Amino acid sequence: MKRYAFEGIHVLDFTWYGVGPVTTKYLADNGADVIRIESRTRVDGLRMAPPWKDGKPDLDGSQFFASYNTSKKGITLDMSKPKARELFLRLLPWADVVSESFTPKTLRNWELDYAHLSAIKPELIMLSTCMMGQSGPHRDYAGFGNLMAAISGFYSIAGYSPDELCPPYGAYTDFIAPRFSACALIAALDYKRRTGKGQYIDMSQYEAALHFLAPAMVDYFASGRVLQPCGNRSERYAPHGAYRCADEGEHERWIAIAVATDEQWTAMLEILRPGASDRPFASAAERFANVSALDDLVGGLVRGRQVEELTAALQQAGVAAYPVQNCMDLHHDPNLEAFDFWHWLDHAKMGPSPYEGLEHRLSRTPGELRWPAPTLGQHNEEIFGELLGMSRAEIAELIEQKVIF
Amino acid sequence: MRSELLKGYRMLDLADEKGALCGKIFADMGADVIKVEPPEGCSTRRIPPFLGDGADRRSCYALAYHAGKRSVSLNLDSPEGPKLLLELAKTADFLVESFPRGYLESRGLGYDRMEQVNPRLIYTSVTPFGDKGPGRDYQWADIIGWAAGGMMFQMGEEGRPPLQMAQPQAGLHAGAEAAVSSLIAHYARGTDGRGQHVVVDLQACVVWTLMNEQAMPLLHGDYLRRSGVFTGAIGGRRKTVFRCKDGFISGLIAGGAYLPSTNALIGWMKEEGAAPDFLLREGGLKSLTPSGFMKATAEDLKELDLAEEAVERFLMTKTKAEVWENILKRRLLAAPVATVADLAADPQLKAREYFVEVEGPAADHKIVLPGAFAKLSQTPVGPAGPSPRIGEHNEEVYGQLLGLNAEQLQALRATHTI
Repeated sequence: MKRYAFEGIHVLDFTWYGVGPVTTKYLADNGADVIRIESRTRVDGLRMAPPWKDGKPDLDGSQFFASYNTSKKGITLDMSKPKARELFLRLLPWADVVSESFTPKTLRNWELDYAHLSAIKPELIMLSTCMMGQSGPHRDYAGFGNLMAAISGFYSIAGYSPDELCPPYGAYTDFIAPRFSACALIAALDYKRRTGKGQYIDMSQYEAALHFLAPAMVDYFASGRVLQPCGNRSERYAPHGAYRCADEGEHERWIAIAVATDEQWTAMLEILRPGASDRPFASAAERFANVSALDDLVGGLVRGRQVEELTAALQQAGVAAYPVQNCMDLHHDPNLEAFDFWHWLDHAKMGPSPYEGLEHRLSRTPGELRWPAPTLGQHNEEIFGELLGMSRAEIAELIEQKVIF
Repeated sequence: MRSELLKGYRMLDLADEKGALCGKIFADMGADVIKVEPPEGCSTRRIPPFLGDGADRRSCYALAYHAGKRSVSLNLDSPEGPKLLLELAKTADFLVESFPRGYLESRGLGYDRMEQVNPRLIYTSVTPFGDKGPGRDYQWADIIGWAAGGMMFQMGEEGRPPLQMAQPQAGLHAGAEAAVSSLIAHYARGTDGRGQHVVVDLQACVVWTLMNEQAMPLLHGDYLRRSGVFTGAIGGRRKTVFRCKDGFISGLIAGGAYLPSTNALIGWMKEEGAAPDFLLREGGLKSLTPSGFMKATAEDLKELDLAEEAVERFLMTKTKAEVWENILKRRLLAAPVATVADLAADPQLKAREYFVEVEGPAADHKIVLPGAFAKLSQTPVGPAGPSPRIGEHNEEVYGQLLGLNAEQLQALRATHTI
């Protein structure tokens, strides 16, 4: 038995920013040897984005970058130089997988696209992930994941009303696409193990993300209905939403509540109005017909309550509830702690730094954050020395020539 | 079309909305996914919106996320039910479930028992809050997962309620993660033939959507407040959604990586005589140099507010389609806010033949699904067929896999086992 699922799998990883690195992280945390190929001439934008160690911008000090690149090694190559491309081709025989997330023309220009690489190594698995995919009129569109969240419809279904949009935070689709690209990549590795055949994976982040809107697409194509923002209204639960509890100092505290049954509603009223004899909105029909009045009632009753205590009381009574947690709360959450979610890893430049852990746990071959993210070019000597048998002097010369750069 | 990628593997799908997407992804990749649901149907079949009425009423959620699966009905609370599931599990490679903790164990169907009858089995449990913490038995709804994982707090305006999306998302993240983690366990099985128990933590899956915000409080001392259509991520209160003639455009008027885009936009406004003088001043907006933004004075930021107003006035004269054309032509870092209707008509998706039509539950319903989540050269993936009716494949599955004859099936029906 192997300690990790992907022990012995080798990945040359050109990806950058979010989707690609989060994808290859699944392999790296589960034992694959993943080498990130970066360049000082074309730095991964996440190295230049916060949060930073001590709040100071530094290419080796970004936790944004670090979070997505655990358990990987890092080398630098300025791929615009022919000598760098030659070194990459010398590494190619070692690799099971090559991954990249440039706009489609980049690798074609370097003659390192799948057509070229598979001619050298037919059993190669190659993953290309970009915003719109490798073909189509918009294939060269370049942008960030927050723009993709707008293009792929998520901005249009979030807000208080159709006229008051409130988009999801950040590059939302960057956290949908990797789940699909990882599935494709792992299944392709399995297929290759069984058949000997490699293949090319053309992943459009747009097309992956739309799977999270599939019911709305089905509905539109069949009925013409267009899904729109509706605050926290639901056709399944009433009450359903976030209600403000007692503030804690300057911090707003909110509780999310979803009531599905009459029994839950009765139990909730008992907690919010102990001893009261009447039962307003006793039936589901009344609750759904008077959602605004219902929200006002719940909002008034919840406003003075302490959020953690109220959550515990409601859950004890069988009502779905939880504090609406801010990013500080997450670091003190007892359920995440019990799942052993947070980890402090000792980064080469940053020292001990906070990392998100895995979202799942395997009983027999668990993955883990094997080591913190690499600094830029941290493993140049190791990789070029051990894998390509280059001497220190050769490596130093190529650094001097800004090939290994 | 059924993909060759995972052809020959079988998954038993006992998951509700916390894991339905897992089996869908497996079906798209060619696995034989058998949805095992109670005789009244999986709870996902009662998720609105619906198509059709009465007996023909079908949930769009079920139509979308059960496509390409087979369905058998099975009452696990009946005396014979658990035995049948164990028999099915002997023929399976994967099982995914999302029952309340302890339920399957109480029916003699926990991982330990399943492992005895099929040591190869990968048994994946999706849990709302993990299996060990104080919330391991908590009640759950999608909005609760969204709140617990931290995304809800970021959506909306300060002082007003935090928001979820009109298409709930938390269960989808967990379902997709269940697919990835099941495949990781599958790859490990390739070396020694042994399965394992996989536990997915839905709350953690939502935390993973928070991008760079998770570590902000620890490294920068504070957490992000929600800020409506304004970005809070780069220090200033900058608008990210602008109105246009027929909807909204997302973009950012900023320096740094956005400077070429900002200048290109101002250039476009200039061509059409819509750029106010202060936008055209020599040297540009003071706050838009890379360092200028960090050092911007209140006056500089006021100028940026005015710039945003001018941009919105300009965009109000353009349609989404016109703006998109210029985004592509002028390489603007901006995007139209697409509605579901826009997605259905998008030429990029058309060119890549993305949407796939499958047979509907009634002749007048054409069911169109998102297509391949990626294009694989050797083993194309994508929707494998329509969504099954409850128990549609009882005869086929119980007959072929377990060798039950018509008489035995009738007996199981009589005892309300299937």
